[in-house]
Amino acid sequence: MKYHVLTLGCQMNMSDTERTKPVIERMGYEWTDNEDEASLLGILACSVRQKAIDKVYSRISKWNKLKNKKNLLTFATGCILPSDKDRFLKLFDIVFPMSELNELPEMISQYGIVTPASLKFPQNGGNGHEKFNVKEFNEKAALLKLNEHIPDFWHISPSYKSPFEAFVPIQNGCDKFCTFCAVPFTRGREVSRPSEEIINEIQSLIERDYKSITLLGQNVNSYGLDKKGEEISFPGLLRKIGELGKNSGKEFWVYFTSPHPRDMSDEVIEVIAAYPHLAKQIHLPIQSGDDKVLIRMNRKYSVEKYGEIVKTIRRLIPEATLFTDIIVGFTGETDEQFENTRKAMYDFNYNMAYIAQYSQRPGAVSSRWIDDVRHEVKKERFHRLTRDLEKTSAAHNKLMIGKTYRVLVRGLERKGDFLSGLTEGRINVRISSTDISLVGKIVGVKITSSTDFSVAGEMI
Amino acid sequence: MEVTINTIFAVQGVRHLTDSSYIVRMDRKGMIFVPGQNLNLGLAGDPEKRDYSIYSRLQDNFLDILVKEVDDGLVSKKLKKLKPGDSIEVDGPFGFFTIKDEDISTKKFLFIASGTGIGPFHSIAGSYPELNYKLIHGVRNRKETYEKDHYPAGRYISCISKDKKGDFRGRVTDYLRQNPVDPDTLCYLCGNVNMIYDAFDILKEQGVPSGNLHAEVYF
Repeated sequence: MKYHVLTLGCQMNMSDTERTKPVIERMGYEWTDNEDEASLLGILACSVRQKAIDKVYSRISKWNKLKNKKNLLTFATGCILPSDKDRFLKLFDIVFPMSELNELPEMISQYGIVTPASLKFPQNGGNGHEKFNVKEFNEKAALLKLNEHIPDFWHISPSYKSPFEAFVPIQNGCDKFCTFCAVPFTRGREVSRPSEEIINEIQSLIERDYKSITLLGQNVNSYGLDKKGEEISFPGLLRKIGELGKNSGKEFWVYFTSPHPRDMSDEVIEVIAAYPHLAKQIHLPIQSGDDKVLIRMNRKYSVEKYGEIVKTIRRLIPEATLFTDIIVGFTGETDEQFENTRKAMYDFNYNMAYIAQYSQRPGAVSSRWIDDVRHEVKKERFHRLTRDLEKTSAAHNKLMIGKTYRVLVRGLERKGDFLSGLTEGRINVRISSTDISLVGKIVGVKITSSTDFSVAGEMI
Repeated sequence: MEVTINTIFAVQGVRHLTDSSYIVRMDRKGMIFVPGQNLNLGLAGDPEKRDYSIYSRLQDNFLDILVKEVDDGLVSKKLKKLKPGDSIEVDGPFGFFTIKDEDISTKKFLFIASGTGIGPFHSIAGSYPELNYKLIHGVRNRKETYEKDHYPAGRYISCISKDKKGDFRGRVTDYLRQNPVDPDTLCYLCGNVNMIYDAFDILKEQGVPSGNLHAEVYF
């Protein structure tokens, strides 16, 4: 009895997959890379872009054809817009919010296909042959609060994909309502995971010698705010993790993504500065360098306010690398407003920027507006900003030459001639060695050369 | 009561202010909100929802929202037809278009609204009677000044672009140009994006730092 899960989208979905797999495997299923030999096929959907949604429809169409040949059960979970859910329910056998992952065995056992799983999990004395009532489930699901069961989801022990890098969810959902984003409608509102659970999971990762731990959430730095004083704040959580690091005697780095500039307090930066295990890399999405575009995006900060945060980072953690996210060609973005974003690229001197050409995201407020920046203009702005980034990134990388950095070795490069790794600041490093026994270890590397987006060096 | 999700609220009634703008009143159900916040709502069971600023005051035991009927709107037209006892599905309150407690008695405020963008200011002004503020409201005609008698004398200034019956003839931006703002004033702008952009430029030119500018765009 085999299963396959297709994961679309961001790190949150990848992390969710790490919790989905053990739940399915506890039912007796074994993972297969080959969809054709699976009897359970699932998708962790992403609704950020129409392309990702189209992928779901294309894949389920293929899977439903397979059903003519064999007994097959399909499910969909992840980020699903309310408007897609009804359609998915007609195409998939089971559709559920990720927060109800714990109930997946029950849903499968009730579905009506005789599998070892259905025999293993009989419901209410039933024989496991009762047809799962899609309508009833749909009605129930519609009434359920999207994140009501998320604490149950967090109790699931994940099966980490990597033996040395792990994602730890600390928060789910979003209350910010940026106009370009549909996350509040697909993942629900901000809910913080209990700090005790987070600390336990991190402690267990430290004991297993994990080297890179990333705290995940849509708005990590609003952690705890939903608990109205009954939970520690984000800096409080970081401080506890920093203490774990201090007491461990081990070398590892803890990252977080993504924070919202609105909630980025000086205290967060002070704590990162104070604890060596809190990685000196900060991802601070600016999205646009123009105040009016930020207003239209409903980001609730100004470029000036963002700049104050960057100043504090530079003052308290001068060695920190700074990453960002930028959208070019957002609805209504003028040439002048784009130029302000280019200026921000230099003013804030980013090491890395994830630049996206704006596309309408179904369910987001801006999807109701005319996408009035022509595709060619977006493309041109994308390339210009990428060239700007090349300059700022290259300048940073050049300064690394001759210095020694601790580098987490992540694997062999594709051609197999070098090892590749990341510095604490998440700068790509090519290491002149092919010793794969070093993968998963942090080693010292002296940087000898640099390119726009990476550096190369020798092990010391 | 914390943030509510998919919660059903009973409608108390709809009060029509003009042919295309109306106030929907619903039970408050103990909701705790900060004046200036909004609700995301639609008809019960309908996946389409929209954001509406809370119009009522902290001390009211009901919730009001001010709605402008949108041509081809998927939510506003349905809200217009609501009857007492009908159900609305509400998420919220959300948003950060609020004023800080410590500023209430110490700062000077300028509220700039166009059309139904006056909604959050009605809630803020009514909730904090001691507030030192001026509210500039840009509308096309006198009918759209809505419930201007709710504000103490001298606080509310209507800027009417299409007739002479307002406190000021012209747009809010014209008013701002003719009446420069003290840069220490905390300026809150709410309404359509073009008005906000224009007012934003004028206020910046007058020396108001961007830290004193807060905007909530109505789309």
